[in-house]
Amino acid sequence: MSAFYDGLAEIFEIDADNISPEFDLVAHNWDSLAIVSTIALIDECYDKLVEGSALAKCVTVADVEALIHLAAAA
Amino acid sequence: MIAVPTQPAQGVQAGPPQGLAVADVHLRGVVSVLPSRRLDNADFETQFGRDGVADVVKMIGVETRYWVENGQTASDLCFLAAQRLLARLEWPPDSIDALIFVSQTPDQRLPATACVLHGRLGLSTRCQAFDVGLGCSGYVYGLWLASLLIQGGCGRVLLLAGETSSRLIDPNDRATALLFGDAGTASALERSRGAPPIHFVLGTDGAGAGNLIVSGGGFRTPCDDARRPEGLAEEHLFMDGGEVFSFTLRAVPKLVLETLANAGLERGSLDALLLHQANRFMLRHIAKKLGLPEARAPINIDRYGNTSSASIPLLMTTDLAERLMTEPMRVMAVGFGVGYSWGAALMALDPLACAETLAA
Repeated sequence: MSAFYDGLAEIFEIDADNISPEFDLVAHNWDSLAIVSTIALIDECYDKLVEGSALAKCVTVADVEALIHLAAAA
Repeated sequence: MIAVPTQPAQGVQAGPPQGLAVADVHLRGVVSVLPSRRLDNADFETQFGRDGVADVVKMIGVETRYWVENGQTASDLCFLAAQRLLARLEWPPDSIDALIFVSQTPDQRLPATACVLHGRLGLSTRCQAFDVGLGCSGYVYGLWLASLLIQGGCGRVLLLAGETSSRLIDPNDRATALLFGDAGTASALERSRGAPPIHFVLGTDGAGAGNLIVSGGGFRTPCDDARRPEGLAEEHLFMDGGEVFSFTLRAVPKLVLETLANAGLERGSLDALLLHQANRFMLRHIAKKLGLPEARAPINIDRYGNTSSASIPLLMTTDLAERLMTEPMRVMAVGFGVGYSWGAALMALDPLACAETLAA
C-alpha cells in the first residue's frame, strides 16, 4: 500500500504519515483534479482503471481501496 | 514489460485482424502557423486568482498559448501554412489533386471551408476539397484519408488541420479556459512508389460523445445537452475532464501497442511517439505506462496548449523539426479525444523538405 499512500499524500500535499484508511478525502479538497490524479495513481500502482464518477462518491481512503478491490475482482 | 489487458478495454474494439495499411505514400513537409496573441498564465490570475491558476496548471502543464484575434479563423491560419508549404516544396497550385480541411471551427456552416480555402489558394478546378469535422483524432484521420486518396489515384494531397478552440471556451470555466490554444497547420502528402506502408488503427466510441461537446450551433433544437452545467452557454465547450481522462487511459496505451503489433514492431523501434497534446499530466502518465522516456514522447503543451487537430503537426514543426528534416524517422502519430474518436498512424518518414512554425 505504501506507494499508493505516498501518491495520495503527494496529491493532497500533506505528509504520508497522515494517510490512513480513515483519512477524510472530502475534508481535503477532493475535487476533479484530485480525482483525475487518483485515477492515474491507481492505474500506476495497481494497473486498474476506476471510473471518475465512482471515485467522486468516495468519502475516505478506505472507500477508494474498496473500489480498487472491486476493479481487481472484475 | 507493461501489463496488457487480455480483454479489450471497455469502449475499445479490436481492429481488423490484418490491420489497415496504405503503401506508396510519402509525407513531404509540414508547416504550422500560430496566431500572434500570446497569453501567459499571469493573464488569467485576475479571473481565477493565483492559486486557482496554479492548481490547474499543475495538472494541464500549459504555461503559454496563442489565441486568434476576433475575425481571424482556423482557415486563415491554415491558408498561411499552406501558402508557405507550397512555396517551400515548389509545388505549383495546379499540381494539387485534393485538399482536406480538418476542423471543428469552420468559417461558416456552408459551404465547406475547404472550398473557400481552395479558392484562396488558387487550386485547379480538378482538385477535390472537403471538410472533416473531427478534433483531437482529426490529424490521424486526415492522414488516413489523404493516403487513401493517393491510393485511389491522386498524386498530391494538402492536409490542413486547424482549430480556434479559444472561440469555444467559456472564459469563466477554469478547466477549459487555460487548456486550449489555437493553431493552423498544413501537411503535404505525395504518391511515391516504393514508400513503405503506413499502418493505421482507427476507432470510435460514440457513448462518450456527451463528455466533450459544444451542443449549440447545430440543428438539434433545443439541443440535447442534459449534462450542461448551470450557467454554461450552449455555444460553449463542456468538458467532463475525469471521464475523458479515464477514456484516454483505457484507449491510448492499447492503441499504441495494437498499432505496433499490426506493423510487427517493438516499442524500441519508435524514434518518436507523437501524442496529441491533450494535458501534460496525462501525456506523462501514458509515456510512463508505455515505458517510453520523455525524449521519445515529446511534449510541447507547455508552450502552445491543447490545439486539438493541430497538435500533432505542431509537435512535428517545433520540437522535432530539425530531426525530421535531417534524418529518416519512424514515428507514430496518436490522436484521441472528442467523439470519442481515436486513431494511430505508424509511418517511416524520409527526411522532410520542410518542417517549420511561423507566426501569423
